[in-house]
Amino acid sequence: MDSHAAGSSSGGSGDGGAPPRRNSRKPKYSKFTQQELPACKPILTPKWVVLVFLIVGVIFVPIGIVSLRASQQVVEIVDRYDDACVPAANENDKLAYIKNQTIPKTCNRTLTVTKDMKQPIFVYYQLDNFYQNHRRYVKSRNDGQLRDKSKASDTSNCDPEATVDGKPIIPCGLIAWSLFNDTYNLILNNKNLTVDKKDISWKSDREHKFGSHVFPSNFQKGRLQGGKILNSSIPLSEHEDLIVWMRTAALPTFRKLYGRIYVDLKVNDTITVQLENNYNTYSFGGKKKLVLSTTTWLGGKNDFLGLAYLTVGGLCFFLAFAFTLLYLIKPRKLGDNNYLSWNRPPVGRR
Amino acid sequence: MASERPLLISTTPGASTTDDGPSPHPPAASLLPPAQPEPPLRADRLAFSVEVPDPFRPSRRGDGPFDDPSAASQREREVGDDDSRGVVVGEPSPEFAGNAIRTAKYSVLTFLPRNIFEQFRRLSYVYFLVITVLNQLPQVAVFGRGASVLPLAFVLFVTAVKDAYEDFRRHRSDRQENNRLASVLAPGTAGDFQPKRWKHIRVGDVVRVASSETLPADMVLLATSDPTGVAHVQTVNLDGETNLKTRYAKQETQVRFSQNGGVGSILHCERPNRNIYGFQANLEIDGKRVSLGPSNIVLRGCELKNTTWAIGVVVYAGKETKVMLNSSGAPSKRSRLETQLNRETVILSIMLIGMCTTASVLAGIWLLNHRGVLEFTQFFREKDYTTGKNYNYYGVGMQIFITFLMAVIVYQVIIPISLYISMELVRLGQAYFMGADKDLYDESSRSKFQCRALNINEDLGQIRYVFSDKTGTLTENKMLFQCASIRGVDYSSSKDTGGYSVVVGDHLWTPKMAVKTDPQLVKLLRDSGKNEEAKLVLDFFLALAACNTIVPLVLDTRDQKQKLIDYQGESPDEQALAYAAASYGVVLVERTSGYIVIDVLGDRQSDRKRMSVIVGCPDRTIKLYVKGADSSIFGITNKASELDTIHATEAHLHKYSSLGLRTLVVGMRELSQSEFEEWQLAYENASTAVLGRGNLLRSVAANIECNIHILGATGIEDKLQDGVPEAIESLREADIKVWILTGDKQETAISIGYSCKLLTNDMMQIVINNNSKESCQRSLVEALATIKKLRAASSNGTLGPVLTSETSSVTIALIVDGNSLVYILETELQEELFKLATECAVVLCCRVAPLQKAGIVALIKNRTDDMTLAIGDGANDVSMIQMADVGVGISGQEGRQAVMASDFSMGQFRFLVPLLLVHGHWNYQRMSYMILYNFYKNATFVLVLFWYVLYTAFTLTTAITEWSSLLYTVLYTSLPTIVVGILDKDLSKATLLGYPKLYGSGQREEKYNLNLFVFNMLEALWQSLVVFYLPYFAYKRSTIDMSSLGDLWALAPVIVVNMQLAMDIIRWNWIIHAFVWGTIAATTICLFVIDSIWILPGYG
Repeated sequence: MDSHAAGSSSGGSGDGGAPPRRNSRKPKYSKFTQQELPACKPILTPKWVVLVFLIVGVIFVPIGIVSLRASQQVVEIVDRYDDACVPAANENDKLAYIKNQTIPKTCNRTLTVTKDMKQPIFVYYQLDNFYQNHRRYVKSRNDGQLRDKSKASDTSNCDPEATVDGKPIIPCGLIAWSLFNDTYNLILNNKNLTVDKKDISWKSDREHKFGSHVFPSNFQKGRLQGGKILNSSIPLSEHEDLIVWMRTAALPTFRKLYGRIYVDLKVNDTITVQLENNYNTYSFGGKKKLVLSTTTWLGGKNDFLGLAYLTVGGLCFFLAFAFTLLYLIKPRKLGDNNYLSWNRPPVGRR
Repeated sequence: MASERPLLISTTPGASTTDDGPSPHPPAASLLPPAQPEPPLRADRLAFSVEVPDPFRPSRRGDGPFDDPSAASQREREVGDDDSRGVVVGEPSPEFAGNAIRTAKYSVLTFLPRNIFEQFRRLSYVYFLVITVLNQLPQVAVFGRGASVLPLAFVLFVTAVKDAYEDFRRHRSDRQENNRLASVLAPGTAGDFQPKRWKHIRVGDVVRVASSETLPADMVLLATSDPTGVAHVQTVNLDGETNLKTRYAKQETQVRFSQNGGVGSILHCERPNRNIYGFQANLEIDGKRVSLGPSNIVLRGCELKNTTWAIGVVVYAGKETKVMLNSSGAPSKRSRLETQLNRETVILSIMLIGMCTTASVLAGIWLLNHRGVLEFTQFFREKDYTTGKNYNYYGVGMQIFITFLMAVIVYQVIIPISLYISMELVRLGQAYFMGADKDLYDESSRSKFQCRALNINEDLGQIRYVFSDKTGTLTENKMLFQCASIRGVDYSSSKDTGGYSVVVGDHLWTPKMAVKTDPQLVKLLRDSGKNEEAKLVLDFFLALAACNTIVPLVLDTRDQKQKLIDYQGESPDEQALAYAAASYGVVLVERTSGYIVIDVLGDRQSDRKRMSVIVGCPDRTIKLYVKGADSSIFGITNKASELDTIHATEAHLHKYSSLGLRTLVVGMRELSQSEFEEWQLAYENASTAVLGRGNLLRSVAANIECNIHILGATGIEDKLQDGVPEAIESLREADIKVWILTGDKQETAISIGYSCKLLTNDMMQIVINNNSKESCQRSLVEALATIKKLRAASSNGTLGPVLTSETSSVTIALIVDGNSLVYILETELQEELFKLATECAVVLCCRVAPLQKAGIVALIKNRTDDMTLAIGDGANDVSMIQMADVGVGISGQEGRQAVMASDFSMGQFRFLVPLLLVHGHWNYQRMSYMILYNFYKNATFVLVLFWYVLYTAFTLTTAITEWSSLLYTVLYTSLPTIVVGILDKDLSKATLLGYPKLYGSGQREEKYNLNLFVFNMLEALWQSLVVFYLPYFAYKRSTIDMSSLGDLWALAPVIVVNMQLAMDIIRWNWIIHAFVWGTIAATTICLFVIDSIWILPGYG
């Protein structure tokens, strides 16, 4: 709603307040039936338009500035490693490399901290071009099975990863099957940085969606291993990586929380990452990135929101200014009958 | 329809002070056949039996007066053997339909299949069904089974429940109706009447009906309690007219059936048809053929009144009765807006196909690009290793096809099916408010505004032509006797209110209505007998009292001694004349046996335009009274001897009609005994003739109606309704052209035109009044040339024809006569008339027949895109009302035929102004806005879905949960539009009435057109981009999951479209506030509930 002017029309009660007649067919008079309920009719007078634009501008520009600053305070280190971790020998056939179990997948990366980073520092992995929102994929799960021990054999919707040798897979479905299985080991100044992997998933998921009595079974026993193998003695509710993974991403480029570091990092600190490059994104040209990032009240690094607020706010200021000018230079009487089509000189007609 | 119609005429001049005239007591019975009625002025009333146009019948029966009276059509009217049914009186015949009626559509067994079939006849439901069925295919399934069936099932269920309830009520009333009892003559007995249920009555049964009982079927009267065979019926159930109608049993049957004989005679009648006012049959009795006409039949649904009993033979039963045949509704109309909406629906369908094609082609390209790697792509995994085959993958071509079908399911809402339901609801609301408007309530007739057609409310806002009947529509149709011209002397100074009463026994009988009288005339009348002039004056009033079809009803009053005489008749003119005669002392007291008079011609044919009655007076003289329109009477007068009188009368007639009075001429002829007998013989022969009866009767009548002495003329005032001139003024200011189509004479029509301000003195009048096609053509061409010259003379000659009539200084009024229309309508001259008429500001058509009225409406309707409205009150307006885009019926004096056929009905002509300018404008504005808004809001949502598909490898995943998708149109956005569509007002009533020009927005289609639609679609495009991409960029490369972002994408469009609605609302009252903000709150709550209850699939 842009503008409210106080023009209000009150129902004219003057003529019609007739007392009820003996005759029942006569319409009963009320403001409702006569469509004369008291109503407010906002009129966009120049003053109101300018005022509203000003108010929007005044609200939006500060929000924009604050958001932008918050976003810029975030320190983010992104390292793409999928290509870099392929040995030179396998450069030409990355698919063969990733499928060959015998080639060691360990790989070392070095990251330099660009700015001071305050704890907690979030460790994400980012996949590009991975369509977790693909229709085949997104449907391929069974929430009942994940939650309830008694529904262990319910693998409906889980095709093509429902059973192996006729036995139900727990957790079934493509999503669970394709669980991300790269691991990161962060080393700062020859000291291991502890990556806290507790509480990386939603609390409601752990408590309500993944059962504490449901244990993995027959998982990754099929002909093709899709990803991580789960320890079958730990209940699903404690496999937080699985829980994070199964909250499917909305967009084909997404990050998932890997863990948190509760250590402050200084500028120019170098972090060595020992990683196991197990996950196959080479077949479809996906990218894998490791992300270290601090957060603010606004979340991660994203200038867009701040810029959007600033743009809209600025535009409003401009419009307010432009309308003020227009109003001052070429004022027009409100409700001028001369502008009615039938009062205008006939030249302007059709 | 030609048939004889026995009339009972009592010539009781009342207790007039003189004793020289007809005695105050009923004269000796004289079996005299009178000529028949023809309310002269009202050519528009005459074609009473114009049939309701029935699309299912190949040809219309020629009942209209202007139909080609060729031999062929003439023969068609006679009862031929091939299209008649034979009924043996007293022998129930199983051959014809029984009397059980069935208005219910379903039985318990057939309900489910038939009802579902009925429902799926609506195209939108089929669309729904196809989408639902598509969704059941496992490869295509987008929504879960339950979720996808739910909306369709819900709509079907609700409609089915509604239908079932209605049908249950119909069943109940059918049962009640069918189980009513009637006394039926047991076959083979004489006079043994036994109770029988209505449903068991068959054609051929002889039924006895007592007073105040309802007739169980259409019956031919055989006998009544009245020795002369008269029965009175009230037809209120049939046509809403409350006056009593007189029906007759034939003397031949009356005599026999009073003694319980007559069973076994054979009756031939026409096959069942819808014409309530027509009936053709003959009865073979004792080897003699007796012809029967509309006055011998009583119809199912009527009530017997003022008659102790009546016996009749059933000729049509059950569903073949005229009332049942007429109960089918008027042909349904579709509103202009709805027709236009179809064009936009087609555009949207193209958009839908475009989007589906885009999505499926892109999906195909994606698959081609990833060919070969799909097996090892975790999120696709082509193969199912348990079977070793491809899982749900059928090759690129098939995938494209499947994607297309899925896209249709996902994007289906772009075609807003719910819009049709919303429109119905909005119309319901609008109809409620129109009905509740106190400005549309008629205090005098206590009639409310009624919406009879619920689907053309918004058409009221786009009317450009109003075709109005005159009598009863512009005028009150309460006739008042104003002046008389007797033997060339004008008596118009009516001053005294001389009530006159008759003493009958101990009682004083007073006519219900007193008419102002001219003292001079009263004096003259009291002196009658003393001179020749007074005698003629008495004859004049005798003619008024006798020559009609009035039934005097005697009503009790509180005063024991006093009784009121109420004149009931079909013609208000006749009522006025009878009351006038009564006020002058010639009181029609009773119309009973003993004074049987049989009329010459029973039909009302407008080419006769006169009515005659032959009366035997107590002094043994036989007099023929004639009354009718001037043209018809002057043609049969004894010209030579009466030249002076004729001239004087003509002068008076001219004077009266220029005052706006309806005129009638009264004549008389004394018959000798031999003349009468000769005529009676000829008449009886003619009336039983099988072939060409109508023509024969006409010629018999013509033979006796000659050498008439002019008695005088009457002037009856037809009062204008309240506020008519102002209403017409307002309508014209609103650029609505008002045409008057009337059956009146040219002079009367013009004078009414002046008195209702339609015509003004500064107008140029073009009159088209010709008697041949050539002369019509000539005058049309001349008129067009004149107008061209005028236009050239005035400066701005280049403007379009619509504007010129307003902008140029000279306004032109066109007056067309019905005779000319015969030559113009449905010939090539139509085009010329159309051109001429559109150039004129005012068009007045006089002496038009009902079918011509429809012809004129069609003339405009077929040649322009402009909307037409016809308003009328009588049966003669029915065809016009049904022809026009919008038909309005005035629920007034002339019965309910017009109202039954109309789309809207109201009490007064002036209500047209608030109806069109206020409600029409509102309805149009609201409905247009609602349609556009619905297109816009659904498109916004679908586009948001579409943009997301671009980021899901084109696999039609929806981030929005399926429940939210389905609820979007049903719950999240629908209620506010409906409420706004009913309640929002762009302009107040006072403004709309004060500035009629504002009505133009509807006429110019400013609120709904292709440009606005495109604009709305662009708006939807822009807003969907904002709604989609703001969250997209804000959450790009974040950990956001699908259901979170999906909720955002569900909530954002709801807020955006509701805010858009909020910005478009002009007047906010508390109801609108509640619905708009309530809906946004409800959506939020819904999203929370869907997400947080883990039984629901949306949990996450």
